[in-house]
Amino acid sequence: MTETLTGSQILCRVLLEQGVDVLFGYPGGAIMPFYHALPEYPALRHVLVRHEQAAAHAADGYARATGRAGVCVATSGPGATNLVTGIATAHMDSTPVVAITGQVPRAMMGRDAFQETDIIGITQPITKHSVLVDDVDRLAGAVREALAIAVEGRPGPVLVDIPKDVQQAKTEWRDQHAARQPAPRPGGVPGPLADAVRLLAEAERPLIMAGHGIILSGAYEELRALAERTGIPVITTLLGISGFPESHPLHLGMPGMHGEVHVNRAIQQADLILGIGLRFDDRVTGNLAGFARHAKVIHVELDPSEVGKNVAIDVGLVGDARDILRALLDDVAPRDCKAWRAQIADFMRPRQESFREDLSPGAILGAIDRAAEGRCTIVSDVGQHQMWVAKLFPYRRPNTHLTSGGLGTMGFAVPAAMGAALARPDEPVWAISGDGGFQMNMQEIATMVQEGIPVKMAVFNNGYLGMVRQWQQFFHGRRYSATPIWSPDYVRLAEAYGIFGRRVERGDEVGDAVRAAIAHPGPALVEFLIEQEANVFPMIPPGASLSEPIEGEPTEPRLVPA
Amino acid sequence: MSGPRAVTVLIEDHLITLSRAVGLIRRRNLPVHSLAVGPTDAPGVSRLTIMLQSDDATAGRAAQHLQKIIGVRDATAIPAGDAVAREIALVKLRPPPERYAELLDVVQLYHAAVVDESADVVIVELTGSEAFVLSCIRALERFHIVEVARSGAVALESGAAELRMSTQPQLEAGAT
Ligand SMILES: Cc1ncc(C[n+]2csc(CCOP(=O)(O)OP(=O)(O)O)c2C)c(N)n1
Repeated sequence: MTETLTGSQILCRVLLEQGVDVLFGYPGGAIMPFYHALPEYPALRHVLVRHEQAAAHAADGYARATGRAGVCVATSGPGATNLVTGIATAHMDSTPVVAITGQVPRAMMGRDAFQETDIIGITQPITKHSVLVDDVDRLAGAVREALAIAVEGRPGPVLVDIPKDVQQAKTEWRDQHAARQPAPRPGGVPGPLADAVRLLAEAERPLIMAGHGIILSGAYEELRALAERTGIPVITTLLGISGFPESHPLHLGMPGMHGEVHVNRAIQQADLILGIGLRFDDRVTGNLAGFARHAKVIHVELDPSEVGKNVAIDVGLVGDARDILRALLDDVAPRDCKAWRAQIADFMRPRQESFREDLSPGAILGAIDRAAEGRCTIVSDVGQHQMWVAKLFPYRRPNTHLTSGGLGTMGFAVPAAMGAALARPDEPVWAISGDGGFQMNMQEIATMVQEGIPVKMAVFNNGYLGMVRQWQQFFHGRRYSATPIWSPDYVRLAEAYGIFGRRVERGDEVGDAVRAAIAHPGPALVEFLIEQEANVFPMIPPGASLSEPIEGEPTEPRLVPA
Repeated sequence: MSGPRAVTVLIEDHLITLSRAVGLIRRRNLPVHSLAVGPTDAPGVSRLTIMLQSDDATAGRAAQHLQKIIGVRDATAIPAGDAVAREIALVKLRPPPERYAELLDVVQLYHAAVVDESADVVIVELTGSEAFVLSCIRALERFHIVEVARSGAVALESGAAELRMSTQPQLEAGAT
């Protein structure tokens, strides 16, 4: 059957046809025709955010939690530019966000019209793909294409810019479902598999470093099976966390700048590193010249341009992590690496951290885990607390730790947790922020209230932009320039929004506050007044190698390496 | 071996795709020696030739990055020594009348051609490797060069290698 529809109606139909069920957005002049059509499609839930940045992060959180594309919508000009940080965040972490932006009518384009920005140009280096739809007859195809491109292969953000008059234009519409399916991930297993198997059998001190690719390909079982078959210890990068059970005896922890000493020493002593779905980012490797000097490297990676980009490799296996791990499992012989693991155990050090009366990040995170009975998703912001959340929470289930890794975007946690909460209605989703990052997007509490999104928010309030303060303490002679940060009274803030609010000042209040927040049906905010000048240890100073950690309070201030 | 490496790219004819390709080279901070773009025999597909002042590994990685752009049908780096690279230059001259005959000798020596002549100005067309073109331009300097337009190099890999284009267009026609 053919009918005559507007571009906006077609957009809604295609989103529904492609399985999109929620949009995060904000209206404005150039996207009004779309918002005019939207009420005709009640199956498309629209979440009105309070700032478009939050729409992009929420779509990202939704995408990370589901593996499906998360969709955000904004008007032209300032609406579109407000999306930029969220799009860049998604791009750096390879997550499938589709951004739909209104654009000024075609006849006005190129004339610096009111609220005209070249959003395609602005986002070009931070999108996987983008398209200006300048003909209503191409709209359906372009939207299907965008949703498919975002998720296929190595995922990434796609932007669709639609001039207002294209949204209004009418055309014949024929129901034709799902013309464009995402291309399957490249199947099959590349050549040098035998070399990898041989290296894995010969190595005396092998390590597995697992990244985001484990989560993107869902290779949890395979990773675990390979580790258990070979006894090779597993390191998980910031975005690989929860890809391998935290408490597994073979799990070592997180590597890199704030990795534990034994993890980084294991890397430095290893004679073989099997890197799976990671890009050997500088926060992971430290100074490249001093990274894992004794190790051969096998790199399993979907994106061939990542293989050998940062670290010289001996064997590159290009393809989906799950397929390649399965193929390795067919050929790898059992072994156990006992001596090597004993050696690593000898590297372990007690953690150097001073917190008041048990009001430590570890105690807070433990309480959250217990109160949630092991079923919750943690979304962290950026800073010191992010490192504590990465290292101290006992992740049990795959993909339960979401954070902005590559871009390190403060303000990510609260809106991303909204997306994750809509994707996972059956478990508490906690947004854990510092007092700095929380104040970057706390306006979204209003969104949660209006839309009934029950995000549980924890603010680790130390009165500072803590991570920057730590760098100032270590490398800038304790000059705390622009890092002390004032906060409003969060309990009264919660009250003003009409949500649950609680302040925790002592260790013995933690458990009760967390349980009450979870038990409360709606959004909830718990502020933890933590030690003001605690530091994240250990720390590899920027520019140093993994062999040069700062393990405790420095006695003398260091100066930043120029 | 130093000297520029050729990266050749088959690219769909949309400015956004070209912009992405060039933007990628800029963002990765790759040292561009020259860029040339022109149509191919396949409708809707252009060939972009990027000469990079780099080693083979860097050029190879550039090709891998380019390959990921939606709308790039194929991209390859030609290893040093395997590239046949040629460029064209148009040289506008204002030769002193008494040296016109001498100019024609130089033009002949370089297998160049006079392609335009007006009252006191001529345009010479020359083709060859970059080194050849540069040496020819140097030889023409004494005839008072007014302006030079160079195309930047296009390159093919010697032997049977070819860019193999995925047959499916990746972008809808008319996308910008
Ligand atoms: C949008 C943004 N601006 C600035 C920074 C730089 N930065 C990184 S960590 C940090 C401090 C974060 O402070 P807070 O949110 O209070 O968390 P804490 O480190 O105290 O846990 C800053 C400013 C950033 N990562 N993102």
